[in-house]
Amino acid sequence: MTQKNILVACGTGICTSTMATKKLQEALKKRGKDGKVKITQCKVSELVSKAHDVDLIISTTTVPSSIKTPVVMGTAFLTGVGIDKVTDEIIDILGI
Amino acid sequence: MKVLDFIVSLGASVMMPIILTILGLLLGAKFGKAIRSGLTVGIGFIGLNLVIGMLSDNLGPAAQQMVERTGLNLTIIDVGWPAAAAISFASKVGALIIPLGLAINIVMLLTRTTRTVNIDIWNYWHFAFTGALVSAATNSLVLGLIASAIDMIIVMVLADLTGPNVEKFNGLPGVSLPHGFSAAYVPIAIVINKIIDMIPGIKDIEADPESLQQRFGIFGEPMIIGTILGIIIGALAGYDVRGVLNIGITMGAALVLIPKMAAMLMEGLIPISDAAQEFIQKKFKTQSKLFIGLDSAVAIGHPASMAASLVLVPVTVFLAGVLPGNRVLPFADLAVIPFMLCMIVPVTKGNVFRTLIIGFICISVGLLIATNMAPLHTQLAIDAQFAIPEGATMIASICDGANPLVWIILRLMETKAIGIGLLAIVAVGLVIFNYKKGQEENKSIAA
Repeated sequence: MTQKNILVACGTGICTSTMATKKLQEALKKRGKDGKVKITQCKVSELVSKAHDVDLIISTTTVPSSIKTPVVMGTAFLTGVGIDKVTDEIIDILGI
Repeated sequence: MKVLDFIVSLGASVMMPIILTILGLLLGAKFGKAIRSGLTVGIGFIGLNLVIGMLSDNLGPAAQQMVERTGLNLTIIDVGWPAAAAISFASKVGALIIPLGLAINIVMLLTRTTRTVNIDIWNYWHFAFTGALVSAATNSLVLGLIASAIDMIIVMVLADLTGPNVEKFNGLPGVSLPHGFSAAYVPIAIVINKIIDMIPGIKDIEADPESLQQRFGIFGEPMIIGTILGIIIGALAGYDVRGVLNIGITMGAALVLIPKMAAMLMEGLIPISDAAQEFIQKKFKTQSKLFIGLDSAVAIGHPASMAASLVLVPVTVFLAGVLPGNRVLPFADLAVIPFMLCMIVPVTKGNVFRTLIIGFICISVGLLIATNMAPLHTQLAIDAQFAIPEGATMIASICDGANPLVWIILRLMETKAIGIGLLAIVAVGLVIFNYKKGQEENKSIAA
């Protein structure tokens, strides 16, 4: 099975997306799903040019309305509240 | 203090791992994890130093030549916030900022003078930056720590005040943004927004964020901006084709690589910020309504903030050339203009035109502030044993190096007694105001 591509976006492509990526990896590892995805980070302003290459976008901030790829809000990974629920949603969308 | 002096004198890339490992252990992280996070930060610091060295080695001489040929006096290089963050954490104030920040937050929560649980430990560097500048200017660690504390208290109150609007306009329930850079622009935005309200005609103008974003989208991609700016500077410096292309690619590389190194600093801090988050959240679970304080990066995606900041990228470059008194060559921090705007947006209720006007004013003043603070900024970098090229080049940042709140605190603290008194009055006033406001809201919830 090929890996699914997840793009984690935030305002800078560095700060909150690094945080969210770490937490997402931990959450997926707990469920034994971490080998099934490939995670990359980017700036939200780069989404328009990068979005069509990936299966899912997780963003810690609002994304442009022109994006057609599925988007999940990643705020939970920052606040620590509701990580399980978001992780379920992500697994569900990717079908992994 | 002797121990601290010794550790700081080892240089940032050695000191950061030591301090962070100790801090991690104190906050209950396992030894292996603590030392790995410390080392990650040390490595990030070395990486950042390399890239910024490359940037100043290439951009420095080009900027000099550009000055000689065109008379554009832009010799202060904007090396960006990652360097500011690194040199802040590497200062003596920075070594103490995490415990200080946690203590201030806890005291403010206990006295109900804030409702924000600030778990955004990474961005404590903004407070450290203010303190480090003050400490360098006054030669006093204590004054530096006081400056950091005052900065943080003001920002915490601003976060509480803007919290409800952030919930509403950014769709982030329960979140406030105690961000030392973004929050500083809120008071300015409130004043200018009020003024615009009074001007007939102008007050009704609106612009469409989506079409602006499409037209200016290219200014959101660091590799493109970096390369284009490099080529322009190379051309203005009178380089040949080979030289122009080379500096173009090098600048593109710098703009992409600098944040990657900052990401390592950030990553190393995660275990510590996790531990701090757990510690503080466990303590304050029971209080009625609390905001969770996050990085203002979560508010950047708002279409109005995105659109306005994209437009401001070329505008800032142009301004730098024509603004009398400015000597800063904008570069790395062009990528973080959204941070300046993201908390202005809730004030203008998402109006792109107003956001743009306020942003324009803030950037113009910011360039002058950055010029004014550049000597101290450069001094801090040298103290942190950052590789600053010999000669006339100075460094700045048009992020925190251009922050009006930082500048005001710095210049007031320099006057010692009068300024400190004034700042203390402002901080205490804000805190009392915030306490009363919190009590009223609690009453209205109860009723």
